[in-house]
Amino acid sequence: MIAIIGAGPAGLAAAVAAARSGAEVALFDASTNFGGQYWRHRTDVAGYKAERAQKYFDAVISSPNITFISEAQVWSAERRDGLIQINYLQGGAESFLTVEKVILATGAHDRTLPFPGWDYPGSMTPGAAQALYKGHGVVAGKRILIAGSGPFLLPVATGLAEAGAHVVGLLEANSPLRWARSPIALLRNPLKFFELIYYLRLLRRYSLKPQFGAAVVGYENGVAQIARVGSSLRAKGVDRREIACDVVAVGWGFQPDVSLGGILGCVEKVDRDGTVIFQVDSSQLSSQANIWIAGEATGIGGADLSITEGEIAGLAASGSEIPKKLLRKRSAQHAFARALQKSYPVGDGWKEWITPETTICRCEEVSHSAILDSIHELGAEDSRTAKLLTRAGMGLCQGRICSRNVAEIIAGARKCEVSPSERIAASNRPLAAPISLGVLADGESLN
Amino acid sequence: MSSVIEFTFDDKELTGEKGQSIAAVLISLGTPIVRLTRFEKQPRSIFCGIGICFDCVVIVDGVANQRACLTQIRQGMSVRSQP
Repeated sequence: MIAIIGAGPAGLAAAVAAARSGAEVALFDASTNFGGQYWRHRTDVAGYKAERAQKYFDAVISSPNITFISEAQVWSAERRDGLIQINYLQGGAESFLTVEKVILATGAHDRTLPFPGWDYPGSMTPGAAQALYKGHGVVAGKRILIAGSGPFLLPVATGLAEAGAHVVGLLEANSPLRWARSPIALLRNPLKFFELIYYLRLLRRYSLKPQFGAAVVGYENGVAQIARVGSSLRAKGVDRREIACDVVAVGWGFQPDVSLGGILGCVEKVDRDGTVIFQVDSSQLSSQANIWIAGEATGIGGADLSITEGEIAGLAASGSEIPKKLLRKRSAQHAFARALQKSYPVGDGWKEWITPETTICRCEEVSHSAILDSIHELGAEDSRTAKLLTRAGMGLCQGRICSRNVAEIIAGARKCEVSPSERIAASNRPLAAPISLGVLADGESLN
Repeated sequence: MSSVIEFTFDDKELTGEKGQSIAAVLISLGTPIVRLTRFEKQPRSIFCGIGICFDCVVIVDGVANQRACLTQIRQGMSVRSQP
């Protein structure tokens, strides 16, 4: 049996490919429905290429080989007698499933950068705003400002406008001219032009005009402060424009979740943009036997690349041959993923927006000044020491939101770069989901 | 999506639709503050919306640290704010 962790585009594609090759598949997801964050759905599927998502949903439902294990939080996995045991919580009860092979398709979440006021109610990620309207039929606020960088802002802004929100602004920090740096990647992915046209039409339909080179640098009492920025994200000048809004949804691309693969010992590496991802071979096989990894955790590239990687992983795990055509498709999509990195860089100028009082670790309420004090007064030289001194990154989220930013702040204060080993250490955690000691103790008695 | 679910948030009686999360109902009712923080008593609400950040944790039927963005409302559920 193959366990697939995550039922987003990569996991669904992997499940369908493996099941068609005759393999028995257990498809896990923390959510009630499949679709993941991007194809999240409530009653029906809407958005660009919605019929493609529906095709995967139908294939999973109709396949006798796929068992969907919903609302299952996989908190750990371990090797046991040559097999792999998946430990998960479902409805508060501890369960496990032992399988021969695993495909990790754990996806990603919005990458966030701190700014004064980012911890107040009303400030959220674009992913949260999207989850609210797609998953729960709720528009996050009356007047919503979408900001940050990356193509994901387009479906969020147009989706919210379609759902009836007043989108008061769409701010993209980077210039669209940066795409001119990647002509070959664009030519190798001509279908992306249709996607662009699809969104340009929607932007026009809802009279949304993206503003480039602008970022939210503060939010207080229903007013967002906007600065002009370059690709470094450094604010140009001291003039700030103000936009009144109930919600600021700010996101800076995506951060993959590498916890589970890290626990299983899969080797990680640092991508060009500083993101920690897994090392995989041409069949998506990780450094560990019988563990394949597909989707955002092997490099942020969006749903199209995730589907291709999922299909390859599903075929490989079920022992089927991988068509050359599929490998060529992935190669072109990798080129597009690199173009995304070049077009939507996230500079470190945000460190100049934050004030001493700005919260950096939301869970433990650790301010920027507390982190700087740990370096200048207590002698911290890396994020691990700063974490022990300030508790930054030691809260319930286990540093998922702040650890990358804390490492950047410390490196900046010490005038050095964050080392690859520090980036990898900051991305790993002993449990993939928080569980109670009682559950851990029960797990011990299973041994 | 028409079936109405009744639950309480800090003893206030609220209603939402079947399938909605606690956080989604609170936001749809215009009361986005889910809790006050432990140390500074600062108001917090939904942030990541997908169960990563744990900023919206609440006590559900006596069990603490449940994420309001992921937990679906159930008939008669008691939700309390947690520090």
